[in-house]
Amino acid sequence: MNGEALLDVRDLRVTFTGRGRQVRAVAGVSYSVRAGQTLAIVGESGSGKTVSCRALIGLLPPAAVVTGSARFAGAELIGLSDDQLRGHRGTDIAMVFQDPTRSLNPTMRIGRQITEAVTAHRRMAKAAARERAVELLRLVRMPAPERRFAEYPHQLSGGMRQRVMIAIALACRPRLLIADEATTALDVTTQAQIMELLLELQRELGMALMLISHDLGLAAHYSDEVIVMYAGRIVEQAPARRLFARVRMPYTRALLDAIPSLERPAHAPLPVIGGRPPDPAARHAGCSFAPRCGNAADDCRAAAPPLAEHEPGHRWACWHPVGAKAAAS
Amino acid sequence: MSVPLPDLLAHAGRARAERDGAAAGRPRGRLAPLLRLWLPAGFLVVLAAACFIWPSIYPVPRPVGGSVLNANLPPLSPGHIFGTDPVGNDVLSRILYGGQVSFEVGFAVTAIGLVVGGLLGMAAGYWGGAADTVISRVLDVLIAFPALVLALAIAEGLGPSEVHVIWALSVFSIPASGRIARGATIALRERTFMLAARLSGTRGWRVIGRHVVPNIMPQLMTFSLLGVGVIIILEGALSYLGLGIPLPEASWGSMIAQGQQTLSASPDLVLIPSAFLFATVLALNLLSDALRERWGVS
Amino acid sequence: MAVSLDSPGLRLAGRRLLAAIPVLWGVTFLTYVVMNLLPGDTAQLLLGANATPAEIRQLSVQLHLDEPFWVRYGHWLGGALHGNLGTSLTNGENVTTILGARLPVTAELLVYAFVGSVVLAVLLAVLAARRPNGIADRFSMTVSMMGLSIAPYVLAPVLVYFFAIKLGWFPAIGYTPLSQDPAGNIRSLTLPAAAIGFPLFAVYTRLLRADIVEQMQREDYIVTARAKGVAPWQILIRHALRNSLFGLITLVGLNLGTLVGAVAIIEPIFSLPGVGSILIESINDHDVPVIEGIVVVFGLVVVLANLAADLLYAALDPRIRYERAAS
Repeated sequence: MNGEALLDVRDLRVTFTGRGRQVRAVAGVSYSVRAGQTLAIVGESGSGKTVSCRALIGLLPPAAVVTGSARFAGAELIGLSDDQLRGHRGTDIAMVFQDPTRSLNPTMRIGRQITEAVTAHRRMAKAAARERAVELLRLVRMPAPERRFAEYPHQLSGGMRQRVMIAIALACRPRLLIADEATTALDVTTQAQIMELLLELQRELGMALMLISHDLGLAAHYSDEVIVMYAGRIVEQAPARRLFARVRMPYTRALLDAIPSLERPAHAPLPVIGGRPPDPAARHAGCSFAPRCGNAADDCRAAAPPLAEHEPGHRWACWHPVGAKAAAS
Repeated sequence: MSVPLPDLLAHAGRARAERDGAAAGRPRGRLAPLLRLWLPAGFLVVLAAACFIWPSIYPVPRPVGGSVLNANLPPLSPGHIFGTDPVGNDVLSRILYGGQVSFEVGFAVTAIGLVVGGLLGMAAGYWGGAADTVISRVLDVLIAFPALVLALAIAEGLGPSEVHVIWALSVFSIPASGRIARGATIALRERTFMLAARLSGTRGWRVIGRHVVPNIMPQLMTFSLLGVGVIIILEGALSYLGLGIPLPEASWGSMIAQGQQTLSASPDLVLIPSAFLFATVLALNLLSDALRERWGVS
Repeated sequence: MAVSLDSPGLRLAGRRLLAAIPVLWGVTFLTYVVMNLLPGDTAQLLLGANATPAEIRQLSVQLHLDEPFWVRYGHWLGGALHGNLGTSLTNGENVTTILGARLPVTAELLVYAFVGSVVLAVLLAVLAARRPNGIADRFSMTVSMMGLSIAPYVLAPVLVYFFAIKLGWFPAIGYTPLSQDPAGNIRSLTLPAAAIGFPLFAVYTRLLRADIVEQMQREDYIVTARAKGVAPWQILIRHALRNSLFGLITLVGLNLGTLVGAVAIIEPIFSLPGVGSILIESINDHDVPVIEGIVVVFGLVVVLANLAADLLYAALDPRIRYERAAS
């Protein structure tokens, strides 16, 4: 893996304005992704993880205001017009979405939806486009690809539909693939299959991969580096192994604790994080997680802790991190 | 007459509310929605007041029995702002009295449709089963029936008069309201508070009265406002054909029919009642739209 | 696009057809009842005020008007099921012949009105949906609102005044058959078709625009299309418009039935020799066979139109067409 960043995001902010209210969905996020790397962004609903990724290629509704910088291979994406961004969609950055049932047009054949992606940026003869589409179906390990070409989405299972979504995303050989909760809507076995497929494809095609999920376990298993988001901000970031060996943010700790595991005694109550994420329309002084944090103290409520690299390769934003004493020693 | 089906207008209204909400970030003026509601409402009130009250308090030439000597005066003649018709009647006066007819028929028929159709629809929707099948079939037949034929036949056979027109058009308005009420009731039936009410043992009609009626009211009301416009147009059509309000009494429809004969010479005899018909129905539609937006009716 | 003969779509259509029969019957029966309950002796009406009672009675017997209601309806129904719609009471002509001569005119008028309104509606809705709240959109809303508030009989004289009398572009009255002069034929039908079609156009535009905008804003597959890099116009037309046409088709089918009234008013205004022109006369004359004939034909058209809409819906929406459910 070469060291230069394929995607470099700095202080990305997304605000929605509507009916006189301002909703801060993403409040200043910075990270970078290298070619061939797998980055996971983890967070609960409303943390801003999906919005921040959609903002990169301009898939947000018109009411969204995006500021900051996101450079893809040196080219600035923020501030581009829709027409200009269109040039990047699919060719540089592609996305796979959560619900393949709703993300595919139910009245259009699968093959057509793939060839649409293939010819979106390049004119191609119909036969050639069809060939490429079948090739893509093979690439995503779809059984009987030629037959599937003429079928409709509702004739396929959930896992197969998601493969089609991946095929669509790969149509123009993107260098970065963003999988936005790509396996959430699938059953566990299919989940594993799709995740394996994504990783294989990444290796085969040399893409960078961004996994967005609320599932910390998934992130742990499949990614190189993990970012944890809460209330529109990054609260912890580290290479996957180190994150799980030495969790610092109370939030991340709590997320980890909330994962059900076989080692727990039967019928033991699952530790859940009490309370709810803060209202993105309201502004808080202090740390957003303070109301729900076990380690919260007065300084937490007074001022928001900055995200800083307290240890090499490991950033977090907390006044009273978990295991701080151990780290200090 | 092509009737604007209520569903699609609701559909359009909802999409419009969405559009307003998701508009590109600019703060929505509070003024515009209020204007959209009160301007048409105001117009209707003023027009109704003019039609019903003005002739009583301010002398206006009688709408019938004009002298032929006065025939075909153009608009803005002294004493006749809108001119006179071929028989010598004052046009303004006929507009006002014709307006009375339109309002009376429009609201009466709609009210009948609302009450009878509403009850039938709610009964069908709430109890379902055999009652629903029977009521629905009847409503279907009534809707499939060429309404105009029926209205014409009734008017023909019983003789044209305002009351007969109201009867005839009610036959048409009842199934329209009935369908809406039925659909809304069915949609409501599955909601939890309805199940709770039924489980608590409350008897049918009380549930309907207490829960169904208040909840489907907004939808029924906005639909009915549209209905008033449709009925006014239909009454105009009947009068136009000579089977509604009988001449020499005034009705906007018959005025249009009459005026057509002298279209090239005195177009105003057609254009003036047409304009009033159009404006009234337009105001009703706009008002219905605005209320739909206000009440968040889907 | 093979349609399986066993597909749920066809079965649905078959059921609808069966269900429509009682409705059709109900309509004809109701018409018969209404016409016969009306006061006024048909024979007397036909013969005029100077007829002697003997003449009236003789005509009544001749026209079978003295037989009980049920018998007469039975006769008519029996005949109708065999394709014989009876003879006109006013002039003795075969009802089928009368209708046969007049239906093409009405049909052409309606086709013209519908096709025109749908095509224009699609064009305007697509333009409007491209930029919600933009100029085209505001224009479409205004035009729709106006079209919804105007009736054909109000619009017709206005159109005649401006386009026929003042501008002379179209004839004010009269019909030129297609075989005689195609251009003249179109010209003679344009104003009547516009009078009927404008309110339709308003309704369709409104519905279509709302549907398209809703899809563009809410559907996930639109986001997928954007993420692919597909151009906005293509997304609008290939995805949103296509799926919106369903609602429109159903509506067009439903609308067909409401057109009896419009036709009955518009045709006389423009002196078009169609079915609508004689409808009112027949009602005035109590010419029951003719009225029944018209009612039957229109009822049939409505039923078939709705059926066609259902079938078309099934043909276009693959979820209905194919039996295999998603596993």
